[in-house]
Amino acid sequence: MKTFLATMLMIISLSASTALLAQDNPLRVGMSGQYFPFTFVEQDQLKGFDVDIMNALGEEMGRDIKYETANFSGLFGMLESGRIDTVANQITITEERQKAYIFSDPYVYDGAQVVVKKGNTEIQGVEDLKGKTVAVNLGSNFEALLRELPYADEINIKTYDSNLERDTALGRVDAFVMDRVSASQIIKEKPLPLALAGPTFSQITNAYPFRDTEAGRALRDEVNQALATLRENGTLTSISEKWFGTDITQP
Amino acid sequence: MDVLNVDYMLGLVPVLLRYLPLTLQLATIGMVLALILACLFAVVRVLAIPVLNQLTIVFISFFRGTPLLVQLFLFYYGLPQLVSALTVIDGITATIMGLTMHFSAYMAESIRAAIVGVDRSQTEAALSIGMTNGQLMRRIVLPQATRVALPTLMNYFIDMIKATSLAFTLGVTELMGATQKEASGSFLYFEAFIVAAIMYWIVVELLSKLQHYLEIRLNKAYSR
Repeated sequence: MKTFLATMLMIISLSASTALLAQDNPLRVGMSGQYFPFTFVEQDQLKGFDVDIMNALGEEMGRDIKYETANFSGLFGMLESGRIDTVANQITITEERQKAYIFSDPYVYDGAQVVVKKGNTEIQGVEDLKGKTVAVNLGSNFEALLRELPYADEINIKTYDSNLERDTALGRVDAFVMDRVSASQIIKEKPLPLALAGPTFSQITNAYPFRDTEAGRALRDEVNQALATLRENGTLTSISEKWFGTDITQP
Repeated sequence: MDVLNVDYMLGLVPVLLRYLPLTLQLATIGMVLALILACLFAVVRVLAIPVLNQLTIVFISFFRGTPLLVQLFLFYYGLPQLVSALTVIDGITATIMGLTMHFSAYMAESIRAAIVGVDRSQTEAALSIGMTNGQLMRRIVLPQATRVALPTLMNYFIDMIKATSLAFTLGVTELMGATQKEASGSFLYFEAFIVAAIMYWIVVELLSKLQHYLEIRLNKAYSR
């Protein structure tokens, strides 16, 4: 019972202290930790392109970065409710999101890519998705992109919190849509029988969203300034080269 | 897929074990608070205390009638939207709140059933020899009700341990959250999730043993 009370006290004080810390200097950054190679975990270590860029930004701004990981679908809720300051998870700038949030300057330029199970020759690009079942990440921009297509009604869109690559490889869905960069990376590095189908469609720019408040705007300006410096001194390029062997940070 | 990557699984065990304590803490604290709340509800219901009784009925109906995940989202994302100061509710607190209220609603009913299930003649006998209501509860009704309620309460505790796996949706990296992140880093889903499954299983199995032991003890008076 004693240890029990001790644990209880520990938890309570722990929750209290995290609430207090939030008032402090660190930039609180949300990410899923489940989006290879941008943010993922290996042996308890948070890694990825987005982690490296964020760390570089933090160094430039002289702020600690405090990472909060949660399922992707929960990240915007955390931003909205003030539990994090921004999201570093390849967030695409969209009209809809711009209504609710303000965005930093883009730090990644990319395109949407259809991916199929290896050996599937039926689907050669986005126009072949008619009548097919297509997986996208829940709350991601790719769902909206698909729904904008003139034949959107004929596509059976399935939303996933994670693991859509696996379901495509298993043949549970005909294809998934993701950004080209991470799709190529998954195919290259992971033991899943997948292949890119056709060229990219629709350009994507990714940036950091902030709350549209005075504090949010100030943070955005601070991040923009640091981003510009990192762009000029080649840090963005070298981080991109490290992960992708190509520079995805330039338009 | 080729063979199981056993090395990866073994390497994952110590990593995931670091998150098991949080899973157990969430469930244990949730269980203790839920038990307290459930006992209060049960007493209110058994004694049919006016007003409180009706409120309890509505509370139980709501928390039994809606999914736990919906409740967690309400506490974590919903409340701060109404009152911005409630942002202080962090993921851990919101999870414990959700578990407590959700499971107390279920447990209240099984505790109430256990109390009501104690034969009326026992109550009458106790009162006839001049016991007070408190004595009646403490000495006669509760010991017998505990014995009846124990198996179902243990069931709820086991269920609660597994329900903590929803906490990652609120950004709490417990056993399931850690597993999900590791799996998406390695793409070795089967390996990662089977390790997590076995961990949950072992914990629940140990609890079942404890339940069995407690049941034998509580049944002593009834065995001949």
